[in-house]
Amino acid sequence: MKKDLLAILFVILVIAAVINGTHIQSVDEYYLTHIDDITPESETVTISVRCDTILDNWEDLWPELQSDEFVPPDGVILPETEYVLREGDTVFDILDRAVRYNRIQMEYQGADKNSFGSVYIQGIHYLYEFSCGPLSGWMYRVNGEFPNYGCSKYELEDGDVIEWVYTCDLGKDVGCAWMGNQGEEAAQ
Amino acid sequence: MNTFASYHPAVLMLYFIAVLLIAMFTQNPVLLALALLGGVSFCTLLERPKDFLHNMAFYIPLFLMIAITNPLFSHNGVTPLFFLNGNPVTLEAVLYGLDIAAMLVAVMYWFKCYNHIMTSEKILFLFGKVIPKLSLLLSTALRFVPLFKAQIKKIHQAQKAMGLYASNSYVDKLRSAVRVFSAMLTWSLENAIDTGSSMKARGYGLKGRSHFALFRFTARDGLLSGAAVFLLALVLLGTALKETAFSFYPRITALSASPIAILAYLAFGLLVFLPFLLEIVENMRWKALLSSVPKHGALSLSDATPGKDDKK
Repeated sequence: MKKDLLAILFVILVIAAVINGTHIQSVDEYYLTHIDDITPESETVTISVRCDTILDNWEDLWPELQSDEFVPPDGVILPETEYVLREGDTVFDILDRAVRYNRIQMEYQGADKNSFGSVYIQGIHYLYEFSCGPLSGWMYRVNGEFPNYGCSKYELEDGDVIEWVYTCDLGKDVGCAWMGNQGEEAAQ
Repeated sequence: MNTFASYHPAVLMLYFIAVLLIAMFTQNPVLLALALLGGVSFCTLLERPKDFLHNMAFYIPLFLMIAITNPLFSHNGVTPLFFLNGNPVTLEAVLYGLDIAAMLVAVMYWFKCYNHIMTSEKILFLFGKVIPKLSLLLSTALRFVPLFKAQIKKIHQAQKAMGLYASNSYVDKLRSAVRVFSAMLTWSLENAIDTGSSMKARGYGLKGRSHFALFRFTARDGLLSGAAVFLLALVLLGTALKETAFSFYPRITALSASPIAILAYLAFGLLVFLPFLLEIVENMRWKALLSSVPKHGALSLSDATPGKDDKK
């Protein structure tokens, strides 16, 4: 019987650990109704989310997604908007706040769940990786350059311009060179 | 209970392929619900009532587990219910989970029926000449689980008699069960090899070896295979014209109620309930035949049942 008790205790511990690790929010709690006000002394960054490239690769897009509801006709999911930069904010923090404030759907893989040690954005606004061909997915640009690491590792500075762009060709169609070069080097 | 099993093996194979082909590759909830209902009712006909409850105790938790797991890992969909660690749990993902669970359980039920109907003898008859090795492998593999279950019961009883399960502790019981399981694995591997050697010793797969079988392709076999092919064609027509197409992400598509879609649903419903209907028709025919037997004298109906004869 002693063994039984130990086993039960162990199961309870596991369940407690799982419950402790889950954080449940209602829909209203998740979406922000208020965001930091911009004051003259606050530091700010701008962020935009676009998917123009899909419009040029419409036939590769999943049939379920081929509607104006999921792909805006002008390709703009979030127009360039200015948000307050808090101390130590990363690209992911700003994106997270922006989509929660604007009620845009987003799915990501947590930093602890992959080998890059950084958050990976799987989909924004129902547009997922591989939704538009095998080389498609979300990438980000800061001040016009593609950093070669995850978005929760990039710490922002005052006045940075973040652009989230959807690529249908591993970054080549949005002006990212290193992905293409890397691919070619690997092929050789 | 044996009407369906008495058809020609080729017809039965064709029938199972037709049903499984649709059930495995569609996402349409109507088709899957039909497949599930048909599979469960057919399986109930084939098994004892007690087995029905046994099955339910396994398949209902399995169904719920699959249904719950999907929304935890898939966060696509336009209707968030609540947010789990920053990712949405959506209505679409929940419904998709139910859909996939129905598909899996339906396919498992149909394979259960397949196992009851398509005995090793029938599989060897069908494929023994053409692909002897593969058909032996198939029949061994498909009969693996039922055989495993029967044997594990035997070993369990033997171990119990030896006092292995004497401890009251659940941990000890679990450990004993694991020991029995590992013994079972060895046994089943050995059994498969034994079967292979024994088949080889009998000249299985050699040239010129004849095979005795009582299967004859008759008119009713032709009728059943014709019906199965016709119904399958109707369902495939609906699929090819995208009338039965259905998707969950990001927004659930409306169920099509066009004539072609309804035709496809009716055809599939008829297809999955075909064995069930055949059984009922056969029952009615049997009763009609019995009632035409004169009721007077020593040959009365009630006396014809075997149970009463024994008592006399």
